[in-house]
Amino acid sequence: MSIIVQTEQLTKTFQKQQAVDHVDMVIREGEIYGFLGPNGAGKTTTIRMLLGLMKPTSGTVRIFGKELQKHKLDILRQVGSLVENPSYYPHLTAYENLNVVREIVGVPHKRISEVLETVRLTEAAHRKVKGFSLGMKQRLGIAAALLHQPKLLVLDEPTNGLDPSGIIEIRELIKSLPQQYGMTVLISSHLLSEIDQIATAVGVVSRGKLIYQDQMSNLRKLARSTIRIQCSEPGKAVAALKQLELAAAHEQEQLILENCSNRSVADAVSLLVHQGHDIYRVEENKQSLEQIFLSMTDGVSL
Amino acid sequence: MLSQLLRSEWMKIKRKGLWFLTVLGPLGVVGLTMVNYGVRKDYLLSISDDDWSVYLDSILSLTPLALVLGIVILTSMMASIENQTNAWKQWLALPVNRSSVYLSKYVIATTLLFVSSIILGIGTTLYGLTLGLGDDIPWLRIVQVSFYPWLASQALIAFHLWVAVANNNQGITVSIGVVGVILTFMAFFLPDWFLWKWPTLANDWNNPFINIVLGISAGLLLFIAGMWHFCRKDVS
Repeated sequence: MSIIVQTEQLTKTFQKQQAVDHVDMVIREGEIYGFLGPNGAGKTTTIRMLLGLMKPTSGTVRIFGKELQKHKLDILRQVGSLVENPSYYPHLTAYENLNVVREIVGVPHKRISEVLETVRLTEAAHRKVKGFSLGMKQRLGIAAALLHQPKLLVLDEPTNGLDPSGIIEIRELIKSLPQQYGMTVLISSHLLSEIDQIATAVGVVSRGKLIYQDQMSNLRKLARSTIRIQCSEPGKAVAALKQLELAAAHEQEQLILENCSNRSVADAVSLLVHQGHDIYRVEENKQSLEQIFLSMTDGVSL
Repeated sequence: MLSQLLRSEWMKIKRKGLWFLTVLGPLGVVGLTMVNYGVRKDYLLSISDDDWSVYLDSILSLTPLALVLGIVILTSMMASIENQTNAWKQWLALPVNRSSVYLSKYVIATTLLFVSSIILGIGTTLYGLTLGLGDDIPWLRIVQVSFYPWLASQALIAFHLWVAVANNNQGITVSIGVVGVILTFMAFFLPDWFLWKWPTLANDWNNPFINIVLGISAGLLLFIAGMWHFCRKDVS
């Protein structure tokens, strides 16, 4: 998979405060990259630098293999974006709002109807945006970003302020984009659950630093469960469990089994009972993604 | 790119009342002159043998005020189209040159004011004809009264566009504009180098052409400075 977005030591300083601190971000083709971090962590500033809205204090941004500073227009022709709360012209209708953008990106008129259909705003096409609900405005913003069928879609907190049904709707829409149109998506959020449900890769930012970046599946592996069995003579129990080819460990009068299926746990307990061990307690310890992130972000909740 | 941007900008100013203001300004000038002549026509016709000249001077005394007010309101309203919902971040993340974006705003503002000048020229001629100021219609002077203030105002357009685009708070923009209108009102007492004096076409040499040259050249410098600032500005 080719690399779509790559930043090297990307840094932005505002009056001596480092909003973005030497970020090395890598987004590969076809990924939905979840950019996760608490409010004020530097997500929006990073995204603004990726879109050329802000100039980095130092570091570089490469998109589609080209340096942003030198090939800005070429790159932006293939990028769709929605930054923070939706921007729109309230005195114009949804159709007119998209037509204003259409002139710039140079696509035929029929694309407007298509994207309005995609975000389910066809019926409201000729109503002024002033009277739209936040969810409708947000969907219009996404429609504008999709208008020229970009290769890279950058969405900054696209579900902010939406009601649960709106969130689900937008999530499903975003999920479908890589398969349907071959897009790569960068989506930022301060909600872990949001990223967990949508992203295939994840970058965690805290206090301007990118503190974790990997495939979502690898992150989920960190959240594996352990079974702790409190029993009499755990030392002997460990040896006994070798018959079942279970790798058990012995720690503080407890037996620890990692990544066990229900069947294995049942077999282990049954074996130990048959061999005369007293079982006092069987517990599952599962480290949630929240706990992992809390430890990553030094307790700043997501 | 500029033509695409201009088409977009024309669409954006729809329903914002900019066209209404464009028409209102010159009609206001002619309307006030109508009131003036309606109240004391006999006196005004007795001042000089050249009635057209008195009439056109009366128009020219009102035009700069309307023009400066128009510049302030138009530039502020145009910037507010983006400032209102911070649409700059969407607009400038599109494949557009920032310098072209800035130029397109300037072109729209100056074109609207040019249209105002045309309407002023037509209104001035028509009302002048109804007053019976004489058969010898001074066409050249009418064109000068209608379009010279607009040419001499290019620096003010560039200045106010810069102020309006650089400030999200249109309160600042309008406050500066109000001060500008007051300065224009007192233009007679201002030195010749003062921006707000130029639309009055008055100067020590009694040559309105100097104001035009000053307006256009300073306008160019202010436009470049504003554009330079706009191109380098971080969009928050």
